[in-house]
Amino acid sequence: MRLAPVDYLILALYFVFVLSIGWIVKRKVATSADFLTSGRSVPVWITSLAFIAANLGAQEVIGMCASGAKYGIMTAHFYWIGAVPAMLFVGVFMMPFYYGSRARSVPEYLKLRFDEKTRALNAITFAIMTVFSSGISMYALGLLFELVLHWSFTASVLLSAAIVLVYTFLGGLTSAIYNEVLQFFLIVLGFAPLAIFVVIKNGGWSGMASRLPAVMTHTWRYAAHSSENPMGVEVFGLVAGLGFVLSFGYWCTDFLVVQRAMAAESMSAARRTPLIAAFPKMIMPFVVIVPGIAAIALSHMALGYSIPLKPGGGPDYDQTLTTLMAQFYPSGMLGLGLTALMASFMSGMAGNVTAFNTVWTYDLYQGHIRKHAPDAHYLWVGRLTTVAGVALSIGTAYLASRFNNIMDFLQLVFGFVNAPLFATFLLGMFWKRATGHGAFAGLLAGTGAAALTHGLTVAEGKGGWLGTVVHTFPSTMAQNFWIAIFAWSTCFLVTALVSWMSAPKAESELHNLVYGFTEIPHQQVSWYKRPALLAVIVIAALVVLNLLFW
Amino acid sequence: MGDLRISDLRIPIGSFFVLVGAILCVTGLAADYQAPLESANVNLLCGVSMVVFGAIMLLLASRRRRS
Repeated sequence: MRLAPVDYLILALYFVFVLSIGWIVKRKVATSADFLTSGRSVPVWITSLAFIAANLGAQEVIGMCASGAKYGIMTAHFYWIGAVPAMLFVGVFMMPFYYGSRARSVPEYLKLRFDEKTRALNAITFAIMTVFSSGISMYALGLLFELVLHWSFTASVLLSAAIVLVYTFLGGLTSAIYNEVLQFFLIVLGFAPLAIFVVIKNGGWSGMASRLPAVMTHTWRYAAHSSENPMGVEVFGLVAGLGFVLSFGYWCTDFLVVQRAMAAESMSAARRTPLIAAFPKMIMPFVVIVPGIAAIALSHMALGYSIPLKPGGGPDYDQTLTTLMAQFYPSGMLGLGLTALMASFMSGMAGNVTAFNTVWTYDLYQGHIRKHAPDAHYLWVGRLTTVAGVALSIGTAYLASRFNNIMDFLQLVFGFVNAPLFATFLLGMFWKRATGHGAFAGLLAGTGAAALTHGLTVAEGKGGWLGTVVHTFPSTMAQNFWIAIFAWSTCFLVTALVSWMSAPKAESELHNLVYGFTEIPHQQVSWYKRPALLAVIVIAALVVLNLLFW
Repeated sequence: MGDLRISDLRIPIGSFFVLVGAILCVTGLAADYQAPLESANVNLLCGVSMVVFGAIMLLLASRRRRS
């Protein structure tokens, strides 16, 4: 792929804008709360777009296009059942506790609701995980730019990290959120034309479908049995594992996304944040997945286009997006497409860095290291943590380029830690009897159950390290879904059991933390701002989409 | 905090897309860059849409400001 001066001009212009947004916001940052929680002052349309943009990292964009090419429209399950229902749930049912408790982070909510050890467990694993995942996506980006543009790995990693560092250092969370909105629009306007051009080239959706196996253009028709679809999943694992455990575990408890809603200017705005975000989230498959599906149809058209092969053979689906750009975008738009890729990387990384900042500064530093310092001290720590977070991410990126196996292993372990989380929050928010001991034991047991499931089952040669193989899954995806199901159920049962055996928290301490002890404010908002109504509209649209692509 | 609000964020976003859109329009009209598999003038089409999008953002911001 060769770039013209105009491509570099567009990339440079984007850099200028993100840095100046950081610069403008900097003047307003006076306290640690401004820096780490945006002082709860961000308007709802901004938090909503940031809510999905923080999750829309480069790996997501490239990976979803790759999955589109590999699995077809079934990949949309990761959006339609794997995100939207959970986003509705967190907005309608959970946000009153997150926002109403005045907690500054998700781990802090756990401290208020349960106890210090539960918070510490969640805060530490979350902090390591965010640094790790921003490093991994930095590695992926550096690798891609090296492959496609022949840019040096070090140069692209350092340049992109430096820009994220500057604007998050200057303006903290507000700067990250404001830039995420710009990045969101850039991602959509950069990739949507590609989807349109490729589908038109194919002669529309029907033209595409005529060149593809039917399984690639249907979401549910082949989902009943794992042998009928390329994902190797069956409907129960899909709905319970992905649609319930994994999806609710991420969208309802992951501080990276919840932080965006918690920065909203009012309770009503915080509740509407994920609900409004659900609309663009539903449409995203058409921007990021459809080009992947269309690429496969295109490769059957004898136009000379095909998915590049890996050095070891087999198609390298991760290159689908960039090869399509090279075929359909001339210089100019090509620069914009690459800028959009860069923007998706930055929004993901800034999301990780700002979440890491808040958890480190408030939950670990203020919670355990220095409790009663003046606020200026914590602002200073927050700024310093930004630098440390970026530096650690860069370190992780290099670690990933050297020791790929360690990264795979860590990713697996984090999966075990995350799987049971939603059970803890569900019981904590809706069952007054749940206790700190119960939550802590449940989380450990859930993680143990996840590891045990992985150790006793095999899929595509993965797992089974305990010696005896109880079950063989048709795909690692199915295995992951079932690991999540077992982890969640174990956590739920153990939390309930241990809670019963331990002393309950006084009801006076549950105010604003648990259902039944929390007054959900019924502000006089216009009808179109009511969460329940928004949720119903989203559900109706979701049903229509699923029927259209059944 | 507080004074960098709705109208203000629309201004940088709107300006960015008007500028980028204009660059793409000029590129589409002046240079004969051609994508291998697409015969349409991609730069001009996308450029015009971005100028329109950016202009709407700026328009909303200025209306909010006046009221």
